[in-house]
Amino acid sequence: MPAASTRLSVAPRRSVGWPVPLAWRNLAARRGRFLRSASAIGFAVLLMLVQLGFQRAFFDSALAIPRRLDGSLFIIDAAKYRFATSEPFSSHLIEAARQVPGVASASPLYAGWFDFFWQNPYDHKRFVVQALGVDPDRPVFRWPALAPLIPRLKAHGTVLVDRRARRFLGMTGSAEKSEINGKPVRIVGSFALGPDFQNDGTVIMSVDTFKELYPPAGVETGVIRLAPGAHAAVVRTALREALPRSVSVLGKPGIVRLEKNFQARVSSAGPIFTIGTAMGFAVGMLIAYQIVYTELSETLPQYATLKAIGYGTGRLVRIVLEQAFMTALAGYLIAVVSGIAIFRLVGGLALLPLQMTPQLALEGLGLTLGISLLSAMLAVRRLIAADPAEVL
Amino acid sequence: MRSKPFFLAWRILAHDKARTGLAIAGIFIAILLVFVEIGLYVAIPRGGLLLYHRLRFDLLMTSRDYEYVTQPGEFPAQLLDRARAVPEVARATPLYFGSAKWKSLAGGVEPDLFVIGFPPTGGIFSVAGIESRIGALEKPDTVLMDSATRPMFGPLTKGRRVEIAGRKETIAGKYRLGTGFLGLGVALASAENFVRLFPGRGVGDANIGLLRLRSGADPELAAAELRARLGGEVRIFTRPQLEAHEIAYWTIRTSVGLIFGSGLVVSLVVGIMIVFQTLSIEIGRRLGEFAMLKAIGYADGALAAVVLGMSLAIVLIAFVPATGAALLVYRLIRTQTLLPAAMSELQLAAVLGAALAMAAVSAGLALSGLGRANPAELIKRGQRF
Repeated sequence: MPAASTRLSVAPRRSVGWPVPLAWRNLAARRGRFLRSASAIGFAVLLMLVQLGFQRAFFDSALAIPRRLDGSLFIIDAAKYRFATSEPFSSHLIEAARQVPGVASASPLYAGWFDFFWQNPYDHKRFVVQALGVDPDRPVFRWPALAPLIPRLKAHGTVLVDRRARRFLGMTGSAEKSEINGKPVRIVGSFALGPDFQNDGTVIMSVDTFKELYPPAGVETGVIRLAPGAHAAVVRTALREALPRSVSVLGKPGIVRLEKNFQARVSSAGPIFTIGTAMGFAVGMLIAYQIVYTELSETLPQYATLKAIGYGTGRLVRIVLEQAFMTALAGYLIAVVSGIAIFRLVGGLALLPLQMTPQLALEGLGLTLGISLLSAMLAVRRLIAADPAEVL
Repeated sequence: MRSKPFFLAWRILAHDKARTGLAIAGIFIAILLVFVEIGLYVAIPRGGLLLYHRLRFDLLMTSRDYEYVTQPGEFPAQLLDRARAVPEVARATPLYFGSAKWKSLAGGVEPDLFVIGFPPTGGIFSVAGIESRIGALEKPDTVLMDSATRPMFGPLTKGRRVEIAGRKETIAGKYRLGTGFLGLGVALASAENFVRLFPGRGVGDANIGLLRLRSGADPELAAAELRARLGGEVRIFTRPQLEAHEIAYWTIRTSVGLIFGSGLVVSLVVGIMIVFQTLSIEIGRRLGEFAMLKAIGYADGALAAVVLGMSLAIVLIAFVPATGAALLVYRLIRTQTLLPAAMSELQLAAVLGAALAMAAVSAGLALSGLGRANPAELIKRGQRF
């Protein structure tokens, strides 16, 4: 058994107590198999990363507008259960909010989700789009790429369009004119937002243009900025007292949480991707278990020899765990690299914000380590039970 | 005495039951994964088609602006009268769609409700719970609620009073159809009550028109006749055309196809990886034995048949519990997401085909190298393994 004897000859010569080299040499002795095992685990991890990535992209696309709102406090109708549902309140309340001490500015955001029919400037078909109305003198977004375009909206009948909107809306081209609700509009710029589960595309315009295209029943969100030195909690209480119960006053985390809760609890996207991730975990567990199990059944005599010459069971278990971890880590690297490629490709085609964020990569790493630890622990029981005399 | 290759394959698998069990478990998961991904992929357009599947019609009339079920556009309902004049048409019924705020009298959030208005004459829906409760809809300000309406709407008990679009309405009962992608909640109302809810809309403008043909009439010919008579203002869909149109909408327009399609591709690759890994380990372990078989006169072809036989046997055995587990996961998807995930014969056949293909591909991959080697070499390699 030439391969086994080289393996045995290595570890005892090193006096360091940490036997990584033996685990590594075991793997390196069969490079082909190592690569095969690592890529099998890698695919399971890739499956989880893709599912988690889609889930995140869904949440992120739904949160794109709420996250970009530039304020410390927000006024919305108390009945509002998600951002993209029409619950207008009277614009008088925005004026009332301006009188509250500590409020530096209160800006209205008008919005419509079902009432703005955009005409594709190329094939003249009409589609519902998300429409946002802002006061050009009172910006509501923290959105550096959009800010320089907002003053252009002061001209009557002008709109900014979403160049990442779904292709069939025809917002990507260089068209300068189109129609919304049958009225002509001039396209004076574009921003990159992208569709979400509900909206195929978005147009942004001034409040005046908005009111002309579709008379709204009121403001959708009031964006409050605080005076220097004012405390959000204090101003929130003051606003709460100054405004009627029909509206809620939320902080930025509150408005983001409202959307997150809706997406997680009511929409279908959350559970679908959770099921997918769980499947990936199960697949990974089985693959990893199979790898360790096979490795162990083949090298049990060698391990038994080590046991017989005085290696403690704990140390042998550690070698097995290390081998499992190394294989899983190699698989993880394969998964992250191919995941980045898939996200680029699918994210571009599906217009979804698919990204390998550090957080996603970390979650993937955690799941990978979980897979290899659990499966190795299950498989290693045989090693613990191995009786040198019997195995040899 | 030489055994038949497939019998030999079976004996090899039966010899080490624990290992074979492990291999089957791995492939079970791979097949289950393909089932789940294909189930989701198919469930999305099926969710979009849910309403149409429960409506009785042979041809659908829509505005020329029709996009998909919840963005149908409007057309003058008079055109339905003109359609009735066509001899093949037995019946033409307008349907009205609207979206309204739902307010519980106790306060709280105000979810959006999708309301379907229809003439309460019966024979429009193929849902027993609707047909039997149609009489109740004739009372003013009553609605029937879809039982899949989300819990945020509160209890859907008969007799409960709620506010829809600012109007006090009474729930006349529940029916089981499913909300699909129509909205978070769906209600049915008589056309008369629908117009009360949406005063801006009259019965003069319909969203879709359901046409039923006289028995024996050919839908294609009738559709052509209607298109010729009614001109370009409306579109006429036959059932297969509508099905294709809606599936294309959901899978291409919404990029749902891309998302679950890529999930499906990844799951197939993972499946092949698992089967291949399992098989190559199995062959690697038994290399010595294979060499012995070769030495005693088994041809390469017979050895290949043994490997293929092992591969197919493992996959087929794993397929049975995987189908059972898939039914459970589909049920989980139905309850957790309200997507109509279900097993169809086509799906079953497709996954079986994919599983067999996985088995064949991995057997081929695992065999490469085995065929060319000479027995002596193989026996040596087998010992080292």
